[in-house]
Amino acid sequence: MSDGLDRLVEDIVRESRTRAEEIRKNGLAQIEERLAGARAEATREADQITRNLRTECDAVVNRRVSQGKQKARLAYLTEKNNVLDGIMREVETKLVEFVRDDSRYRPFLLKSIVRGMEAVPSDRVKVALSESDLRRYRGSKLIEAALAGTHTPRTAVLSDEPVKTIGGAVVTSQDDKVRVDCTLEARLGLMKTQLLPEISRTLFAS
Amino acid sequence: MELMREGSQAEGVHLSSPEVMNKIVEAEKGSRQMLDQTNKEISELKRDVPNKIASMRQDILQKATKRRESALAEAERTGVEEAKRIALESKKQLESISQIPSAKRRQAVDRAIELLLS
Repeated sequence: MSDGLDRLVEDIVRESRTRAEEIRKNGLAQIEERLAGARAEATREADQITRNLRTECDAVVNRRVSQGKQKARLAYLTEKNNVLDGIMREVETKLVEFVRDDSRYRPFLLKSIVRGMEAVPSDRVKVALSESDLRRYRGSKLIEAALAGTHTPRTAVLSDEPVKTIGGAVVTSQDDKVRVDCTLEARLGLMKTQLLPEISRTLFAS
Repeated sequence: MELMREGSQAEGVHLSSPEVMNKIVEAEKGSRQMLDQTNKEISELKRDVPNKIASMRQDILQKATKRRESALAEAERTGVEEAKRIALESKKQLESISQIPSAKRRQAVDRAIELLLS
């Protein structure tokens, strides 16, 4: 009877040990499953970070490179503009020299006055020159020569009021309502957009 | 289980005496305690799972973030180096612009005057 009882007790103990083992095994499996799931999810997120990294790194490099290029381009353009400004200053100096050379300047001045006269829609016009031109050409039949070059008959007078300019003329209608600026500065300003590309081509073509 | 267990009956164990009952009750009690203890252990382990997950997650993501930061810093260095190289090239280009031969400058001025007076 004692053997039977011992076996019974052993059975009880063995059974509960087995049950406990089962509970432990199932519990640990559940825990491991949850951990594995969370690990997989975190790894997926980490992979996503890594996957986007190449693009992010490329963007960082590209941003720096394009900033560098932009800076270089700006410096290049600034320097180019400085050179062009220098050339324009040289052009102005040359124009001053040109104005002093009467044999070359007078025909240009005449052409400017004619151009101005033809642009003013009035029969009576006034022609204003620079102070030095006024001194130089007063009484030199400049206006008469200009009138001879126009297609429509008009009357013109040389204004006593000088204009501030290197050279050229300002033609106005008698009533001062229409004013045509044919000075060298005005021409320079008008032609700047045409001159600068031409100068650039000559200087920086290579 | 209360009076006799399967298998034990075959052995002819009678579970009626108090001594026998006591032993069985003790065994059952021990068994219950063992199961309770196991359940308790597992419950504790389960309770700790969210912390473990958080810590593991933080570890994995922290590593990835560190890798990202280090790669971005490296990219920044590469970009800065490349920008320096561009700046150096640009400097050479600027020097060549400011050293335009005077003959060429004269040519440009003459061309401008020619256009202006034409």
